[in-house]
Amino acid sequence: MAKLPASVDKIIDKYGPHKAYPPQSGFEGSHEPDKLVKTHCCYCGMQCGIQLKVKDNKIAGFEPWMEFPFNEGRLCPKGVQRYMQNNHPDRLMDPIQRVEGAGFEPISWEQAMSKTVSEIKRIQAKYGNDAFAMLSGVSLTNEKSYMIGKFARVALKTANLDYNGRLCMVSAGGGNKKAFGLDRASNSWADLKHAEVILVAGANISETFPTLTHYIWQARDKGAKLIVVDPRVIPLARTADIHLPVKPGGDSALFGAILKIMVDNDWIDHDFINNHTSGFEEAIEAVKDYDLEWAEETTGIPRQQILAAATLWGKAKTSFLLHARGIEHHSKGVENVLSCINIVLASGRIGKPYCGYGTITGQGNGQGGREHGHKCDQLPGNRDITNPEHRKYIAEVWGIDEKDMPGKGLTAYEQIEAIHRGEIKGMISICFNPLVSLPNNNFVREALEKLEFYICIDTFLSETARHADIVMAGSLHEEEDGTVTTAEGRVVRINEAVSPPGNTRRDGQILMEIADRLGVGDKFNYPTSEDIFNELRVASKGGTADYFGITYKKIVDNMGIFWPCPSEDHPGTPRLWEDRKFKTPDGKAHFNPVSYRPPAERTDEEYPILLTTGRVVSQYLSGTSTRRIGKLVDQYPEPLLEIHPKLAFQYGIKDRDMIKVITRRGEGEFPAQIVETIREDTVFIPYHWGGKQSANQLTIGTLDPVSKIPEFKVCACQLIVTGKKSTQKLTDTAYQSYS
Amino acid sequence: MLRLFQTLNRVAVIKATIAVVIVGFLVLLGSRDLQNFDPALIAYLIGTLFAVFGIAYRYSVWLQRPPTRLYWRRSMNFLFSKDFISYALRSLKLFFKNIIFQRFIAHRSKTRWAGHFLMAIGCLLAFAITIPLTFGWIHFELRPGDDVTYYAKVFGFEAGTFPLGSVQAFVAFHGLVWCSILVIIGSVMMMKRRVTDGGLIATQSFSEDLLPLILLIAISVTGLGISYDYTFLQGKTYQFMAVTHAIVVILWLVWLPFGKFFHIFQRLAQLGANLYKHEGERRGMATCEHTGKEFATQLHVNDLKTLTKDLGFDYDKKDGRNHLDLSPEGKRSALAKAHFEARKESGKFFG
Amino acid sequence: MPETNYNPEMAFFVDMQRCIGCHACEMACAECETNGQESMIHVNYVNRAVSTQTTVQVCMHCEDPTCANVCPADAIHQDDFGVVHTANTSRCIGCSNCVLACPFGVPKKEEQAELMMKCNMCYDRTSVGKKPMCATVCPSQALFYGTVKEIEEMRPDSVPVNSFKFGNQEVKTKVNVMMPKGTHTLIVE
Repeated sequence: MAKLPASVDKIIDKYGPHKAYPPQSGFEGSHEPDKLVKTHCCYCGMQCGIQLKVKDNKIAGFEPWMEFPFNEGRLCPKGVQRYMQNNHPDRLMDPIQRVEGAGFEPISWEQAMSKTVSEIKRIQAKYGNDAFAMLSGVSLTNEKSYMIGKFARVALKTANLDYNGRLCMVSAGGGNKKAFGLDRASNSWADLKHAEVILVAGANISETFPTLTHYIWQARDKGAKLIVVDPRVIPLARTADIHLPVKPGGDSALFGAILKIMVDNDWIDHDFINNHTSGFEEAIEAVKDYDLEWAEETTGIPRQQILAAATLWGKAKTSFLLHARGIEHHSKGVENVLSCINIVLASGRIGKPYCGYGTITGQGNGQGGREHGHKCDQLPGNRDITNPEHRKYIAEVWGIDEKDMPGKGLTAYEQIEAIHRGEIKGMISICFNPLVSLPNNNFVREALEKLEFYICIDTFLSETARHADIVMAGSLHEEEDGTVTTAEGRVVRINEAVSPPGNTRRDGQILMEIADRLGVGDKFNYPTSEDIFNELRVASKGGTADYFGITYKKIVDNMGIFWPCPSEDHPGTPRLWEDRKFKTPDGKAHFNPVSYRPPAERTDEEYPILLTTGRVVSQYLSGTSTRRIGKLVDQYPEPLLEIHPKLAFQYGIKDRDMIKVITRRGEGEFPAQIVETIREDTVFIPYHWGGKQSANQLTIGTLDPVSKIPEFKVCACQLIVTGKKSTQKLTDTAYQSYS
Repeated sequence: MLRLFQTLNRVAVIKATIAVVIVGFLVLLGSRDLQNFDPALIAYLIGTLFAVFGIAYRYSVWLQRPPTRLYWRRSMNFLFSKDFISYALRSLKLFFKNIIFQRFIAHRSKTRWAGHFLMAIGCLLAFAITIPLTFGWIHFELRPGDDVTYYAKVFGFEAGTFPLGSVQAFVAFHGLVWCSILVIIGSVMMMKRRVTDGGLIATQSFSEDLLPLILLIAISVTGLGISYDYTFLQGKTYQFMAVTHAIVVILWLVWLPFGKFFHIFQRLAQLGANLYKHEGERRGMATCEHTGKEFATQLHVNDLKTLTKDLGFDYDKKDGRNHLDLSPEGKRSALAKAHFEARKESGKFFG
Repeated sequence: MPETNYNPEMAFFVDMQRCIGCHACEMACAECETNGQESMIHVNYVNRAVSTQTTVQVCMHCEDPTCANVCPADAIHQDDFGVVHTANTSRCIGCSNCVLACPFGVPKKEEQAELMMKCNMCYDRTSVGKKPMCATVCPSQALFYGTVKEIEEMRPDSVPVNSFKFGNQEVKTKVNVMMPKGTHTLIVE
């Protein structure tokens, strides 16, 4: 609502981000904790097992959990520092409300609740139910994700619910549904270890999923060849057998060309294609002109390298293809994904031991959170909100009349556009920081300023929450029971290690009370998280993401269960498609024709350089939590502009010069980091920061027509040398350049 | 370390003997040929002389080790140079800061400093009281006809008077009580760390880390026992208190040169190391060829090249450079580059 | 040293080419109770301008440690298992001889505290049969702690090497570096 209630500096002064460090000799009780609680890291789709040390209802440290099969104690720096989000001085300890000119003041829960509910009612009465929207996030557990889906449709009665998974893996989900009729990585990571060729496209595994590295290195120990597709020589690519430095936006051209080479050399599995797939002819027709010369021109990769990669891939006996946001964050994200699936299907290497394919889900519960009705077009069990049968089933589970269930709503970025158009007037958000994570965030900020009422549930006052009328002090990952589903489809158990401190409340409790005050308390009567899960099991039953056979006990006994798991005696499904029964209407895997399209914005004389964005290993997403953890901040304290020495020389740029980067949407200043590990025509900025340091001031809001994912990974920019030098204290860990 | 004690070191024996003779001479001189010597303290005197021998012996042996000798010679050279005044002042300042007040420990932990300081200052004050008393350098007398005034004598010379029953008298005669209290508080603080800190529990040893604290507490408690006895028990248990105290103190004195407490004397080398660094900085810094940054004084790098050779390590390279010319980061990167090349040459980074 | 369950069968293996420079080891090292929130392991870019290559360095626990030899204060102790311990806090005079003489660039001088600190292979953990923090969390297993048999099975084409040549000096260590099969010494020129 309107501008910030006080100056940014004043708000930051009080609510952070401030850096927190452990005491010099560790937290009290870390040597002899009251208990060790087995749970998972909150920071990415790997969901590494970890044990939290608890002393006097506070987290005092961690102890590796050696027995959890995925990571066997291994962690990345975020995982090691994960426990530092607890006991944080910035933590919101009470509900607060906006006070014009002063910032925020604590209020009682009664005040927060009654004001919230009266505003929801007022706005919906005046502008209609859909004028009150909800944005959510998939760092939340399955239980909360499910409950939010129900909350929006049953309590808020709005169609406009969407989530930050929209910025994550929706392109992969869209592609997978088209090709396989189901949205999940086809294999557990165990198959990676034995694959002969591993192709990683647009996945900075070593920084964004560090613990997955071990699986790739193990495969290489056994002789696997590694192909990495990335505009930068990421740490994973440094020793790779083939690194394909693709020009941002050129992915589908690359995979189209590889498909053509496979077909031309007959490196394809005719049996599999004939018996278990459809659409092959159309798919190869689409790439028939994609010869090496064209591919080199379009992708910016030398043709010999493309040929070498295609040869390795084509001739392999076993293989695993992994991709992530690098190919998905595009206005043709779904096409990029489909072009990858095409070369997997052509090879026939799927549904067999050591043959796999999958997207690597980014967020903590990116997998589970996208299955149970969290999306604007979705109902639990990955059902379709526009499908009458699906609607009927879920309406029954929820105990409502199908006619009262809202239809398909707007996606996250479309909601922002709808606010600008005046269609959305009020909003509730949880676990989402769009002011940092959405593209073109000046546009997002203006939208927030137009809302009549905005309520946010969070643990810290994020950049977005600063614009809220009321912020409700919710719970951290370790303060509420539940389950999450990892990127490999394994449902694991999150244990409540400590109860919410002070006047904070569990997120679930907050939502239930609002629902109750909106008059539907009977539909939200869950004494425990397990009760929510048990309802979710029923709701997902018969859907593609079928959790019916999974119970809390079974999860704990087996250290996770892979869905689909349709009955209690079913062991779960680590590897999909062994039965060759795909979930498409015709039961076959679908090839999809993919013709290359250029990115929405191309370089020109005015904006001659490609800009791409991504992450660093020490930060997680919009940094609401990780930008408050001292050691993680110190490792990489500010976003740097990675630029090739040749391009830098052209502009007369020296290391650590402040460079103004301008796009058609905004501008920002970043210190230059001159490195040979990036394409000469491309610059890179990590996106975890807000305000003037935000890379998303620059990125473009063009959406993929199917998945509605914004094109974070490519736009055109210009560079201006400001003549200033970075004033940030030089930290060795981020620089160490000697040239 | 141990091998140093396997055979006696001749030079050290001579030096230690000289030290004992000098102390003996000073005892005779200060006590006016034992006139002012308190015969009750004879056991303490013998124990102290033994400690002097031991400390001097070990100090001498210690100084003979190449790295120690180097620091000793360098710091003496720098101290007694044209910059004597500035270096002497600097050393004096550091002496107070780091030896008397042990401020550097505060940077390891504040409570640790507090505990150590209480313990150390208690001990140092106790030394300042007991050694002159034991050696007969100081004694107090009542003069005939004046039973209300104490006369303090230092080296046989009158150094002041104070009335019996005065605050001064109370403070002076209970000096060791105050010291004991400081030492007990400090030792208990340090002991608490040793039984609660997981890292210390894993690495400490009884004789090197716990026994010294136990001894200090024992000395202080038995010492307090003597005061308690004559203040509240009219000396009924004096014999027992005095004997146990003497036994503990003498054990401690005998052990002083060989156990943890020797660090009190070693700590002085910290002053030398500081001078060495300071003078080195004036002469110029060494730059690492890998990082291009200054990382240490050139003097230090050069000395270490010689020193490592004396100790049997030859880090010279064929091209005349030395591995120690690299900064620590430079060395780590050199190792990583060599490893990378070896891996690359083999054609396999994994397997 | 106190009672210990240190298992001499277990060994430490490093392969810097697996390192992805994530600093998890460094963060975890600070959780080791023997060094009280100070990190003893080193992770650094070799030269970020040209490559993302990072190196990771634990104390190699030399058989004849240069650091202990050059220490003027007898502050560095090697125990019966060959673990070279961090400076004895009461003896160390903070002179930095060890920091500058260590051929691997391992010891760290805590300037204000006038104290050298270094990796002691997580003695609080290894002495009770656990793995060191760094090797436990390392997501790329550039740091591995286990038996020789285990590593031979996992990485059959590599061989643990514990001999290094710095100039004319050969240095033997307790910690191994994984090298291509057939290598006996890692020569650092």
